[in-house]
Amino acid sequence: MTRAQVAIRGVSQRFGVDGASVTALDGIDLDVPDSQFVSVVGPSGCGKSTLLSLVAGLRQPSSGSVLCDGELITAPMPRKVGMIFQEANLLPWLSAIDNVAFPLKLRRVPKAERLEAAARMLDLTGLAGFESRLPHQLSGGMKQRVAIARGLVQNPAVLLMDEPFASLDEQTRMVLGDELLRIWSETRKTVLFVTHSLHEAVYLADRVIVLSARPGRIVDDVPVSLPRPRTFAMTSTEAFGVLKDRIWQHIRHAERA
Amino acid sequence: MRRQERLFVAACVLGLLALWEAMVRLGRLDATLAPAPTTILEALIRLGRRPEVVTSLGVTAGEVIAVFLVAVPVGLFIGFTLAEVPFLGALLRPLVNFLFGVPKSIFLPIFILVFGVSIPQKIAFGVFTTVFVMIMGGIAAVQSVPRELVTVSRVYGAGRLQIVREIYVPAMAPILLESIRLGMVFNITAVLLCEIYGARDGIGYRIAAWGENLQMPQLYAALTMVAAAAVAVNEGLRLLEARLCSWRQKT
Repeated sequence: MTRAQVAIRGVSQRFGVDGASVTALDGIDLDVPDSQFVSVVGPSGCGKSTLLSLVAGLRQPSSGSVLCDGELITAPMPRKVGMIFQEANLLPWLSAIDNVAFPLKLRRVPKAERLEAAARMLDLTGLAGFESRLPHQLSGGMKQRVAIARGLVQNPAVLLMDEPFASLDEQTRMVLGDELLRIWSETRKTVLFVTHSLHEAVYLADRVIVLSARPGRIVDDVPVSLPRPRTFAMTSTEAFGVLKDRIWQHIRHAERA
Repeated sequence: MRRQERLFVAACVLGLLALWEAMVRLGRLDATLAPAPTTILEALIRLGRRPEVVTSLGVTAGEVIAVFLVAVPVGLFIGFTLAEVPFLGALLRPLVNFLFGVPKSIFLPIFILVFGVSIPQKIAFGVFTTVFVMIMGGIAAVQSVPRELVTVSRVYGAGRLQIVREIYVPAMAPILLESIRLGMVFNITAVLLCEIYGARDGIGYRIAAWGENLQMPQLYAALTMVAAAAVAVNEGLRLLEARLCSWRQKT
């Protein structure tokens, strides 16, 4: 029996831009069960990132409600929701391990305890041995691994990822995608993963949500029934191609409109 | 600088001093205008033993410290306010920008009229000169805080005070220290200008007096003292900056 870990109910989001009201999201209904990996795709400016910032509690929807674990989200809930951004956004003056421990420091967890937890997360994300490096001494992929470790350090049930691999080169992106799936299979988080890459969306997820151009509405909810663990060979199968094509038809339609 | 480069620079400086000494001894350089380095060194040692010179140095140092203690917090507070309160910023920043560009020395006679030739006058003029640098530094420091890091902290549950302590303070530290360093240059310049222009004590007052009486060895010795003190302050702050901000990417 699965329950909705993240429930988005009739959510609309309007912004005032230069006196005019712009509708970014319009009537979004989405239930994400526990441990599901959901990709969110859509044309540029469709409100994908806005949707994540609502779940993160960074802003309130103009109408509708967002619930996490049955609880209404009105402010960030750091212990339930971790977030990873397009840029690693590490604190440049803190070492890798202190960056990972940062959310615990904000919660005043004793130092020894938080460093131990952070070391475990760096281990999980394949960065054992890089604990004392400063961000500028790490490669782009390693920085993003630190950011993932930081997102996981409080063991939140939900992980929000806002185009986390978009600024990495393709090879690093593929390696990190596989790493993410490994971490996900070990931790079974509920993941909301925003991406521009249809390939990435299908490869990683159990389900792909397709949003329309502004105002963002859900135009398709595509189940991905490919077996796990996912392998690179699957990406050249017919089933993979059919899924990608189905999503692409929506996006192409929207981008042209 | 690498060791070899340091040695090279030191050798150049020593070489120039030796050349100067030789020129004076050979009679090629007028010793009344440019006394030999050894003569200046003698004067320096002699002056260092004279209590009134030590007192003058103390007066100047006291004024500089007083200016620092007033101008830095006041200027940074104004700068932070202008950067964080959009309404005030829009209103007052053009004014601050204009005043920043005006040479402050032209206001010195007004300060003398208001405060008289006194220590408060030196401090007031020093603050007036330095505070603008600190305001600009405060604004630049706030603007240098990456907004994304504030967002990240909010996602991870940081409150207002935690954002200030964990993000604002460390992110602003490099620019704050740089503006304090720049502020010290303005501070020392303003105080000495006041003293040279008119004073009853202070090393600037002595420099003016020795200059007028053509006491060149004393004048050069005093210049050496002031230069050494200013360099020491500057380098000290730079060292602090390098230590606190080593996380900044070396380019």
